[in-house]
Amino acid sequence: MKLLKSIFFLVLGATVCTLALAPRVMAQGVDAAMLLNPPADSWPTYNGEYSGQRHSKLTQITPQNVKNLSLAWAFQTNQTASIKSTPLLVDGILYFTVPDNVWAVDARSGHLIWHYHYPPNKGDHIGNRGVAMYKNWIYFMGPDAHMVSLNAKDGTMRWNIVVADSSKGYWTTEAPLVVGDHVIAGVGGDLDNLPMFVQSFDPETGALQWRWNVDSAPGLHKPITGGTTWMPGTYDPKLNLLYWGTGNPTPVLNGTARPGDNLYTCSIVALNPDTGKLVWAFQASPHDTHDWDAVETPVLVDGDFNGRPRKMLMQASRNGYFFVLDRTNGKNLLTVPYGPVNWSLGLDKKGQPIPNPAKDPAPDGRLIAPEESGVTNWRAPSFDPKTGLFLVSAHPSYSLYFAKPSDGDYGWAGADYGLWGKAAIEAIDYKTGKIRWSHEVGRNRGAGAGILTTASGVTFTGDAYGNVLALNTSDGKTLWHAGSGAPVSNSPMTYMLDGRQYVLTGSGGVLFAWALPKTGGTTMQSARSVSKNGRKPE
Amino acid sequence: MKKLRTVLFLAAIGMITLYSARWMPLNAASPASPAKVQASAAGAPGSSSDQAVAGGALFQANCAFCHGRDAQGGETGPDLTQSKLVAQDIAGSNIDIVVRNGRPEKGMPSFKFSDQELASLVAFVHAEKAKAESNNGRRRGVAVSDLQTGNVEAGKQYFNGAGQCSKCHSPTGDLAGIASRYQGLQLEERMLYPRDAKSKVTVTLPSGKKIVGMLAYLDGFTVGMVDASGTYRSWTLPNVKYSVDSPVDAHVKQFPKYTDADIHNLMAYIQTLR
Repeated sequence: MKLLKSIFFLVLGATVCTLALAPRVMAQGVDAAMLLNPPADSWPTYNGEYSGQRHSKLTQITPQNVKNLSLAWAFQTNQTASIKSTPLLVDGILYFTVPDNVWAVDARSGHLIWHYHYPPNKGDHIGNRGVAMYKNWIYFMGPDAHMVSLNAKDGTMRWNIVVADSSKGYWTTEAPLVVGDHVIAGVGGDLDNLPMFVQSFDPETGALQWRWNVDSAPGLHKPITGGTTWMPGTYDPKLNLLYWGTGNPTPVLNGTARPGDNLYTCSIVALNPDTGKLVWAFQASPHDTHDWDAVETPVLVDGDFNGRPRKMLMQASRNGYFFVLDRTNGKNLLTVPYGPVNWSLGLDKKGQPIPNPAKDPAPDGRLIAPEESGVTNWRAPSFDPKTGLFLVSAHPSYSLYFAKPSDGDYGWAGADYGLWGKAAIEAIDYKTGKIRWSHEVGRNRGAGAGILTTASGVTFTGDAYGNVLALNTSDGKTLWHAGSGAPVSNSPMTYMLDGRQYVLTGSGGVLFAWALPKTGGTTMQSARSVSKNGRKPE
Repeated sequence: MKKLRTVLFLAAIGMITLYSARWMPLNAASPASPAKVQASAAGAPGSSSDQAVAGGALFQANCAFCHGRDAQGGETGPDLTQSKLVAQDIAGSNIDIVVRNGRPEKGMPSFKFSDQELASLVAFVHAEKAKAESNNGRRRGVAVSDLQTGNVEAGKQYFNGAGQCSKCHSPTGDLAGIASRYQGLQLEERMLYPRDAKSKVTVTLPSGKKIVGMLAYLDGFTVGMVDASGTYRSWTLPNVKYSVDSPVDAHVKQFPKYTDADIHNLMAYIQTLR
């Protein structure tokens, strides 16, 4: 009995010591205050924080020392699906995904804590961009348009709700966004003619709080289908406005079946996050016939525009235009192409491109720039406040678009073929839309890495050949690279733990953590970590 | 001029080599075993439709995003029902290889399916192909007949004039018989941008020695070539200087200059080069 007591006190003592050493005393999870001002040892949302700038204040890694960057650890998912998710970091634990899979991994060492496997399902497995977190709960979208809530401690499931009917053709791939007491998520699926929406769920119960329908513009003669809402939006807490992008209308390539602008497809919309009510909308591609979603991150920036302080929203849109809007009211400040664009007749009074009907897909083909995947796509851009540069992973490209009556008016309803494209990281001066520098990362082919900038002036991204890159933000010159065996497939993130800054990138099924070598008495643990994680994480 | 010709000739050889290299291993697949032949019948009417149904579910979850629900093409992915590779597939002889290995150069990932799953996918694709073909006359996708709206004479003028095609190409030289080798969409795509064209690279070593070969790899850090003896060689940058001679870039420069009518006329003319 006495022995038992001694053991008990020993264990208790050890526990207290361990807790005292931890940077945040207890696992606290995520709360509303933290989301408004995420600490340096966290990355609690898809974009790291609400503005979507993906600009970290961390400065340990600099343009001068980044040449010494090396592998801290690597984590093998042993999946063929590539990592498209940006890991969340909360209380020293990383959470990231591929379709049907969530991993919780120690952010210091890269070792597995738990692995959740979603049940077999028939949903579209095109990708998964990660999870959301609130308190100690993880929110993950199944391919079959379900949302599950998992216990962040052990990956056990709390609930599983249906967000849309996958048997009709809906699927989900996105990392939801937590705003206040709302878990907000959209839907995907443009292989079928389906109405689309953004929904908000109760973080505790999963009960539906509100739904905003894409097809809600006043005066529509008949319902508009399409307008997928498949990427997380951004949020301005002062204005209490949620910004979300919508995708293309359906049928996709055949526009004759759906005359008019097809509001609010291919739009950037501002919603009240508490009610889901629309406050304003800006249509990036009125009457789209080329699959150019406007779901790319609506990046929120406060700064000078034409000599006036402005609250702005910037988007490098898939259709090839860079937009700057006043995010208080949706009024356009700037619309400039940032790659080849040959499908518009100019801009209307609102600064929206006017589609050229002669460039609608046709039976004998139309040469279209950009190709259907756009001048950019879902990989995150980054805004660097110091230089005023909006950095985007660009894909200047040309393609052929076809549509004929026998293609019908359902789903894709046509055919398109990419002809040529290259990949470049482009740095756009947000005040003029001019490209200040362009760094080619793929000769005659596309790349796909997202972008992270840091306050020290380093840009992290990747090329089409499998190199992770660190560029000088001011001029785009390469400062460091490392071959990772496959092109970077996600958008990088960074964090500071125990005084060490880590940068995370995913290539294929492997998550890499990069850091400067440890100095003064501590040991390098990279080699050991890699081999330890070479095993199957189950 | 002579140099340019040589480069073009080399490029053409390179193209043919690459083309054969890509298809040969698939076509050279050993004759199907009896078991495999049986599986191939899955796509035929009246046979194991359960297998095609099971394959359909897998297809919707993993392939439909790019290739469309009915395998007739969609976002990024080609129409499989009109694919040469599928047409020449015997019980998965071609499809298995592509699904298992992916086509990273074209953006297609690899997939880990069991043999049974793969067989069901193959059955589904063949069933969709049969379905699409039974719909003849009203089928989706780009038919050769769709691409006949141009004017031969105007296309010839464009070839020799504004298009500047004749600077590098000759209807009796490199393009002789091109329309017999390729038809329809495939011909038009090649006409606009032959994506497997090779580039020449000249590497200058620190000693001043120059080495010439076909460009095999180039990123910001390494240049690789296949030299005259067929050997792959590479150098770390910037330890060497290099220059790339890439005649195919003229096709990229032409993109912003075309009207759609130019393309249709040029296609009409190129189709006469049989």
